[in-house]
Amino acid sequence: MSDSPVTKHGANSGEAPAMASPQEQKQMEQAYAQMKRKMSMAEIGKRIKHKVMVLSGKGGVGKSTVSTGLALALAQQGLKVGILDIDITGPNVPKMMGLDGRRLHVESGRIHPAQGHLGVKVISMAFLLDNEDTPVVWRGPIKLGAIQQFIGDVEWGDLDYLIIDFPPGTSDEPLTVAQSLPDIDGMVIVTTPQDVALLDSRKSITFSESLKVPVLGVVENMSGYTINGKAAPNSEVQIAGPAGKTLKATTNEDGDFSITIDIFKEGGGKSTAEEFGVPFLGALPFDPGFVRGGDDGVHRIVSEPEGPSAIAFSAVVEALQAQIVDAEQPSLEII
Amino acid sequence: MSEDMPRLTRFERRDVDVALTYENGEEYNVTYDDLRHACPCAKCSPLRNEDESSKTLRRQIEALPKEKPQVRTVGNYALGFEWSTGCSSGIYRFERIWDLANRRDPDNGRPYVHGAW
Repeated sequence: MSDSPVTKHGANSGEAPAMASPQEQKQMEQAYAQMKRKMSMAEIGKRIKHKVMVLSGKGGVGKSTVSTGLALALAQQGLKVGILDIDITGPNVPKMMGLDGRRLHVESGRIHPAQGHLGVKVISMAFLLDNEDTPVVWRGPIKLGAIQQFIGDVEWGDLDYLIIDFPPGTSDEPLTVAQSLPDIDGMVIVTTPQDVALLDSRKSITFSESLKVPVLGVVENMSGYTINGKAAPNSEVQIAGPAGKTLKATTNEDGDFSITIDIFKEGGGKSTAEEFGVPFLGALPFDPGFVRGGDDGVHRIVSEPEGPSAIAFSAVVEALQAQIVDAEQPSLEII
Repeated sequence: MSEDMPRLTRFERRDVDVALTYENGEEYNVTYDDLRHACPCAKCSPLRNEDESSKTLRRQIEALPKEKPQVRTVGNYALGFEWSTGCSSGIYRFERIWDLANRRDPDNGRPYVHGAW
């Protein structure tokens, strides 16, 4: 019998065709599935108008909060939006989108995303875990296969935007997505204003050059915490701020005042963006409502659509949309 | 950043320079040497901080073979150039190209300070 993994079709051999061994058949089936997935990824790429990656160099800067916020702010404009939560080891988008404990629907080998607030479609590893306390301990190749399955085997339908939420750092997840999903518009880098986060976001910006994916801009999260209060009308109010600073405000005729405390620092995201010549998309306020909303499964943008956080998100989305190349816009002629 | 910068509509690569046409019909030329010398990447930028290293960078660029670069758009805010020799890392914002077209220093005289990588 031949060593070839394919069945032999000899014209005049007079022998019955040699059959592939079970192992060879399995290899062929895997190769076929991989080929089908690649074709499917290309098809999905065409049906999703814009794909935006959300990354950060450092953990804990609010990347998933920004991803879900961007998705919901886009959905508020009436656009069809999906979120792909690639954070395999710590998936928390479903909880923020009110989809905790939901299971995915699979039909004819295709995965159907769950639908969260404002009709945003969500795919996350969290949907596949039996117990949310169980850690996912996967080596690179298994992770890579799962990501490709999340891209190629999901029935997204037609979408205006797909927001892809990554784990922190410059690991192989963004690389896999950038190589698997065609025509990614670019990446949004989330940072907080302190030096250690800015240092890591600089790495993310440099990383984008290696991936050949443009940086759409930097978002500074947890930028400042605004306190509103009342005191005697037309008087000066003093508050002890961080680093021994005294913050002052003057009340209006009704006695209302407002002071913004820069809990970490201020302007770091903007200066990093300027340093690297990439756009600054805006700053999002420090809002404890995100924590409560995340825990309760009701996103801040949904619970308070006219609130300061929702307004800040819509400004960031506006800046993001201005950076995205619209195929219908007159483009630059390069000769 | 130039608030009144018109939109770049045409980028024509010629033998030793590029002809730029803006939406308002104005046309400008920027030599490839000027373009490459203004590379905003983290390797080239610090070399422009000092006159001597800037001149050395310029001489190195001028010694490279003259070639037309591959051009790619970066988002809708910048262009990237791929050269077969020398540095291809820089992302040129349209404002930077506009400054070069108008013979202005695209760094606005500010020295480049390295990121902390």
